[in-house]
Amino acid sequence: MLKYFVSRMLMLIPMILIISFIVFIGLEFAPADPLTAMISPDQMSSMTLEDMEAMRESLGLNAPMLVRYGRWLVNLLKGDMGFSIVTGTPITNIISNLLPSTIKLTFAALLVSTFMGLLFGILSAIKSNSAIDYISSVLGVIGISMPEFFIGILALLAFAIRLRWFPAQGRTDVGLGAFGSIKYLVLPACSLGLVLAAALMRYTRNAMLDVLNKDYVKTARAKGLPEWKVYYKHAFRNSLMPISVLICLRLPMLIGGSVVIEQVFGYAGIGSRLLTAINAGDYQLVLVIVLLLSIVSLLASVFIDLLTALLDPRVRLGGDIGGAK
Amino acid sequence: MATALVTKQKRIKKSSLAKRNLQKLLNNKLAVLGLFIVVTMILLCIAAPLLTPYDPGKISLFERDSAPGGEHIFGTDKLGRDVFARILYGGRISILIGLSGALGGMILGVVIGSLCGFFGGILDAIFVKVAELVSIVPQLLLVLILSTIIGPGVPNLIYVFIFTGWVATFRLVRGRFFSLREESFVEACRAFGIGSLSIAFKHILPNCLGPVAVQLTLNTAGFILQEAALSFLGLGVPTGVPTWGNIMNAAKEIITITESPWLWIPTGVAIALFVLGVNFFGDGLRDVLDPSQL
Repeated sequence: MLKYFVSRMLMLIPMILIISFIVFIGLEFAPADPLTAMISPDQMSSMTLEDMEAMRESLGLNAPMLVRYGRWLVNLLKGDMGFSIVTGTPITNIISNLLPSTIKLTFAALLVSTFMGLLFGILSAIKSNSAIDYISSVLGVIGISMPEFFIGILALLAFAIRLRWFPAQGRTDVGLGAFGSIKYLVLPACSLGLVLAAALMRYTRNAMLDVLNKDYVKTARAKGLPEWKVYYKHAFRNSLMPISVLICLRLPMLIGGSVVIEQVFGYAGIGSRLLTAINAGDYQLVLVIVLLLSIVSLLASVFIDLLTALLDPRVRLGGDIGGAK
Repeated sequence: MATALVTKQKRIKKSSLAKRNLQKLLNNKLAVLGLFIVVTMILLCIAAPLLTPYDPGKISLFERDSAPGGEHIFGTDKLGRDVFARILYGGRISILIGLSGALGGMILGVVIGSLCGFFGGILDAIFVKVAELVSIVPQLLLVLILSTIIGPGVPNLIYVFIFTGWVATFRLVRGRFFSLREESFVEACRAFGIGSLSIAFKHILPNCLGPVAVQLTLNTAGFILQEAALSFLGLGVPTGVPTWGNIMNAAKEIITITESPWLWIPTGVAIALFVLGVNFFGDGLRDVLDPSQL
């Protein structure tokens, strides 16, 4: 298990390096002076052209690209991400204020969709061809066919504006405490999670039906196990592998979707900041946000991978990893 | 009567796999319904000039924000443009973007996937890594960056979709190739002295096309949804061009959501309906082509 864990973690490093290098190249080609992104605007305004040139030399902006990439990376790791070229605020501040809200939103959406998707997927597999199966199949295919923002707008209109159950403009959750922030989170998280829930439900149903037709399920039944034990221990546990693969594949879509949903609900997260930055041409900020969101989705999928591995005795007991895949 | 039956049976026996599959597809009610929705909507969009006398871009300031009914079936928007006309003309562009993006991505994915799957080696290793990278960066973000770098516009959006959409097809085709290239019919081809490229594209590839077709429907649906999301954010197609996403763009303001629902509800329903049709058809196609994965 430890060996598997370590190897998965080690594999992350080259991936993150490559993504950060691509982002760095993007920065290089962005039509903006890197100097403005590296020093604070107050300092900038009091400088002459010669000062700037000297600054450039001392900051190493005239060094070869790979050297600059190395320095940029070291700075990133130290938490110094430079300055937004439009507002002049340090990017680290922007990120540390907004990234937690977005992670909270995405995580809530992931929880909602996993719970609903697994529940209805399993129910419709167990009671296949029953009313619940048909209803959830139809709802599932409608769910994956609706644009996320359309679901969001409909939810906003119905539950926030007409019924007034939730605030219409879910600003942020800063300083509201755990319970105060939940009501701002419910609608965005549910609308974001609904699409994934629908996809997951369809997939879980198929994976469960697949396993339920296997011989070992027949054996389990034949030896007189209670039905719930057959479903839980034999069918569900074995269909978990393909399900977690699907969740990993869909995670980047969930994080991308959070950008859209934050816009619909006016939720103050990193996604809505990203849009403002794009519209303002704030390349430094845009690329750093993209880098961070990609790393978040990478980490999250490794996490889910490890969680699945924990449930798989072949991996947990230190067996051959290649065989388990 | 009896002879008719015999000839009918003979015909069934003689019929090719493709014909049998077509028959199976036509027996699948949901697939037929999906195909019907898709074809009808495409025809409606093509026949837009016959169905509405209005120009989707024509601004008429006397008829701003009028509710549905009367001359305008779905009312007009803030600039007095007819919403029904905009949905029809917008559908042309949205469907064009979705279909051509998916087709382009499919071709790219099939070519790279077959080459990698057949030859393996360093080429394969490189593209597997590239595919992994493309799929780890959230696709919407990738599209966002690319469209900010190369600028908005219909062709640019299609290029971006092609660039991000080949991965799934690539994985499918590569995976199938890996198992198929060990089959004995490939050995037989080699024994006959058929060239490698010919074996890859003429003999192995046709065996992979079923899942590829299903993937094509998935991608078309996905791209239409993504175009809508991007244009809704104001980052997809320039606002002057009517697309489904651009029409929905107005629904960013609460006042539009509550006061003029005719602006966004019919458009949202149009998107959902078309994607639903594509998904129904895709599901049916999968059931027909791959009975094991029911």
